[in-house]
Parts: sequence; C-alpha cells; structure tokens
Amino acid sequence: MEQPFSLASEVRDNRLIITTSGYVNNVGGETIAREFNKHFEGGTKHVVINLGQSKVVNSVGMSFLIEIIEKLQDVDGKLVFTDLDPAVEKMLAIMGLFQFAGKEKSVEDALASFSSAG
Amino acid sequence: MPPSPVPDSGGKQLMAAGLTDRLTGQMGSLQEALRRLSKAATFKDLSDQFLSVTAGFFPEGEISLFRRPGNSAAWERLSHPRGEEAVPPEQGAPGPSPDGAGTLIRVDHELVDASRLAAVVTRRSAGTPYTDVDVISLRLFVALFDSAFQEMLARRNEKELIFSLNHRVLQLNSLIDTGIEVAKLDRDITPYQLALERAASLTNASKGSVTITRGEEQIERILFPAGLTGLRTDGEGGGIASRFTFGGNSYSFRLFEKESRSGAIPFEETDQLLLDALARQVHASLENRYLHEQELEKQKIDQDIAVAAAIQQRILPAELPVIEGYDVAGINIPSKSVGGDYYDCIPLADGRYALVIADVAGKGVQAALLVSSLHAYLSAYLEGGMALVGLVKRLNRVICTASTDDKFITAFVALLTPQTGGLEALNAGHNPVYLLRTDGTVQELNRGGVPLGMLDMDFPYESETLTLGSGERLLLYTDGIPEAHNRLNELYESDTPLKEFVVGHVPPGAGAFIAELINDVKRFTADAPQSDDITALYLLRR
Repeated sequence: MEQPFSLASEVRDNRLIITTSGYVNNVGGETIAREFNKHFEGGTKHVVINLGQSKVVNSVGMSFLIEIIEKLQDVDGKLVFTDLDPAVEKMLAIMGLFQFAGKEKSVEDALASFSSAG
Repeated sequence: MPPSPVPDSGGKQLMAAGLTDRLTGQMGSLQEALRRLSKAATFKDLSDQFLSVTAGFFPEGEISLFRRPGNSAAWERLSHPRGEEAVPPEQGAPGPSPDGAGTLIRVDHELVDASRLAAVVTRRSAGTPYTDVDVISLRLFVALFDSAFQEMLARRNEKELIFSLNHRVLQLNSLIDTGIEVAKLDRDITPYQLALERAASLTNASKGSVTITRGEEQIERILFPAGLTGLRTDGEGGGIASRFTFGGNSYSFRLFEKESRSGAIPFEETDQLLLDALARQVHASLENRYLHEQELEKQKIDQDIAVAAAIQQRILPAELPVIEGYDVAGINIPSKSVGGDYYDCIPLADGRYALVIADVAGKGVQAALLVSSLHAYLSAYLEGGMALVGLVKRLNRVICTASTDDKFITAFVALLTPQTGGLEALNAGHNPVYLLRTDGTVQELNRGGVPLGMLDMDFPYESETLTLGSGERLLLYTDGIPEAHNRLNELYESDTPLKEFVVGHVPPGAGAFIAELINDVKRFTADAPQSDDITALYLLRR
C-alpha cells in the first residue's frame, strides 16, 4: 500500500534529480514544485523526477508537474520522468504530460538523454 | 500649471488631427505592449508587464496599479511606486482626465471577471502637464491590459478544459483497467487495496480506508496512504462511502478530503459514482475468486475420486478364478465414479473358495475407503485360515473402528468346497442370496447377523451349511438390482421379482445369466439415470 509522501533530491552537473516516494497528491506535488523552484531560480534547466516509489498520483499532483514542465519550456529546459510504474505512466500519458516531458527507464538513462540532446 | 484650454470648433479639429497623429505614432508602441502583455501567464505577470511598458511611455511619471475584486469595496495595490505621490483610488474616484494641474491621471476600467482595475499616473517632477492624449494613451494601455487578461483567462480556461477532459478520460480508462486488474488472481495486492488506491487517486481524495467487518467484529482495516494515524472510523468524518457484503463480511470503502489547489473541496456526484463502480468491481472479483476456489476444490475432489476409483477397480476382480466343475461370473456397474459395492471369488490355500459380496451404505471416496478396508482385512483373515463366524466377528469390529457412525457394510460371505459342493454361508444384513435348486425351488440364504460396523459389540453371528448339487445355481447381488428404478420411479423388483427371474433364466453359462439379468434391468430402467451400484456374482455347478 502506498506510503505518505517523501522526497529526496540531488544535483549532478547542474541537473536536478528528484526522487519521490508515496502518494503524489496536493502535498506531494507542492513539495516537488517547491524543491524544483528552489533550483530553477538558481538556473537549473534540466530536471529528472524518479517516480519509482510513487505508485499513485492524482490530478492535483499532476497539475504541479505540468507547471514544472511549462516553466522549463519557457527557458528551453526539459523534464524527464523515470522508473515509472505502468499505471502511473499510463496516467501521465493520458493527461498529455509526455507531449512536453520525456520518460526514461532510469535516472542514468535520463541524464544520458540530456547529454545526447546537448 | 494652467487649466487645459477649451478649444473652439476649429481648434477641436486641429486638436483631433494632432491627437490622431500622436496616436498613430504610438501604434508601434501599443502593438509591442500588446505582444508583451499577451505572453503573461498570471495576473501578476500581467501587472508587471503593464508597469514595464507604461513606464516607457510615461518616463516622468510614477505608475500605480490597483485592483478591486467584484465583491469587494477595497482596492488592492498591485504595484509599489517609489515616490510618495501615488494616490490610492479610494481617495477619490479615479478620473478619466488629468487633474486640474495636469500632474495626475486616473483610469478606472472594469475587467472581464467583473473586478475593476485602476491605473494612476503621477508626475514625479515638474514638467509638461499631462494632456487628453496622455489620458487616451493610458486608457488604451488599460484596454490592452483587459484584452491580454481576457486572452490569458481564455488560455487558462482552455487548459483547464483540456485538463478536465483528459482527467475524465483518465477516470474512464482507469475504471476499465482497474476492473481487469482486480479480476487477476495472482496479484500481490488484494483487490480492495488496489481499488482503494485507484479510487483515492481518481477522485483526488487525500486519504481513504477499507474496513472489513463480520457482524460487530472488525476483521481488517486498510488505510490509504499506509501508516495513516488518526483517521476516524466509518460513519464519521464526512467524505463519501460505498459498501457491499459478501460471504458474511461487510466491505466498507471510505474516501476523505477531496483535494484541490486551493484546499479541500466537497466530493462531486461523479466521485460517488466512481467509488461505487470500483466497489462493485471488487465485489465481482471476490465472487469470481470464490467461484474459482470452489472450482479448484472440486477439481481436487474429482482427482481424489479418480484416484479412489482407480484403487477400487484394482480391488474388484479383473477376472474370476476358474473352478473345476463350476462356472462363475460377476459384474459391477458403479452409479458414480466411485461406488460402495464389492464382490470377489477368492481361492484359498486349502482349495476352497470364498464367495463375497458387500455393499457400503453411501457412496463416494469414504465408501471406497471402507470397501478397501473390508477387502484388506477379509483377505488377511482368509489367508490366516480363520473360521467363517470368527472371521465375520473380527470384520465387524475392525469396520466399526474404521467407519463413522453412519457408515456400515452389508455383506454375504460363503466358503465353497468345490469337490463336494459344500457351502458354509453367512449373511451379515445383506439381501437374501438365492439358491436355485434343480427342482425349480429357490432357497433364500439369510442366516448370519447384523451388518458389519453397525454395532460395536460381540454380536452372535451364525452361519448355515448346505450343499450345492449339480445344476444348482447361486445368485449373490446388491440392492442396486431390485431397487433399480425407471423414469416413473417404479422399482425393478415390482416389475420383475428377482426370485422369479432366477427361476425363469437358466442359461448354460454363468456369464450368460449375468448378461440376461443386466439386459433386463436396463430394459426396465430404460433412459433413467442409474441410482445405485449394480453388482452381482453368479455361481453354477455343472
């Protein structure tokens, strides 16, 4: 059963990696957005969100993810989701998030995709 | 600063021409302003852009921006002018014209959302007084603000509409997916856990629970997210709920606190419909799992029965021994895959033969096990050379021990000495055995005692001794023959008394007699299902 939300983050080569655990709802989405904004204001334009330990996402949580995508679009940045549970991946696809964000199997793949895209 | 001149008719035409020229000259600035304002994503962005573009147009002025929501009387300041000259609108209705000194312009405009926007320009230092052209320009900028605001709202509404439509698609899709997933039997999560997670996600509930109760006793409670504390019990705390009962258990789903970006909001009718639909899917899944388990159990029982049937087939004789001077034949047709009838003709070490027929009360695996016990003990006791009465007494005791209270065995055992035709017979509660004498009379062999396993006491069994003469015949049978019935539920015995059949059918071979008997029973029962095992053993002394 899904756990309450928690988050960890790290920066590698000016790329922000956010790893979540638990229900991505209003609280979860807000926490992700806050963490993102902290780094975004410092100039971070490439972001990875590892949702491997988040099996449940609701639409309020997704609205925060969409905001992050929009902000990154404005500065030609990019967001990549990784380690997606099939149900979560389908939800994000239906909500149209992959039109503007990427998805990769792992964080390493996501970081590699930034490098190959320049 | 002198008051603005009041132009005469000719002057008005000159002013209008000058105004047109000046505004035409500003067209590029206005277009650029519209482009910048239109990019704003929030009202704050819009306000900041407005202040930025108007600052270039009024370089000597300090621009203040105020907004008053439609349902409020108070103005909210949106900008923070550096000087002290900024005049909040509440000090006087913002006017469309420069004040008498030409140092202030106020423009008040109703926005599309029914709020009011006020732009105030104050001169920071002395200089050329503001004119009607400046007023018109500020009005134009405010109108551009309104247009950009409308565009921003339209974009936002469009995004929200798309988001909402996508969410509805997501809900429908997830409902279908969840229906499939909860029906899977090999998941490491229970169907009600999965449904609770999906329900919370699709309705934006911040938390939820499933409570399973039997009567007043709570069997299980699952919280979402896991590890929640302080969640109130069912029936309290608001939210929405859906319940069903299955297998004597009550399953109650509850969702609490519908989330939105602006805080908790009431659940919608759609949320209740979704929760009900998911609960129904879980109900169906539990029913399917139950039926599946029943089917597996039935398959296992069928397998057990098949094994028991195979064992019983080995117990029943594949072929009967050849007895010099005699012809012997037998048959067993079980009514179910495992029957409770038994017969045999067992050669003994001293040259005699044991003729046995038995019928266990009941059918199925338990009956087969009892037949197996009877066969094992009987064989052992016969091998040991026990006398017939003592043997049956021992059998009675062991069958008593091996069987439940409602299980017993009727049996007929006879020991035949082939050379003399001598026969010692004991009937333990079985149907009478018919001995057809050469004079056409039929002797019933009934002497013996109670069925085996019926009474656990030292019952005084007794046997009878007689001689089988040449041409005389012996029929051993179980009640499946006289009690065979047709579609009208009539018994074979009432149509054809078995004793009469024995008298009337004297073919030269034992096998032929058995065949005639079975054919006659089938003629009578026709297409009626066989209700009991049919077993017979026929001995003819040549």
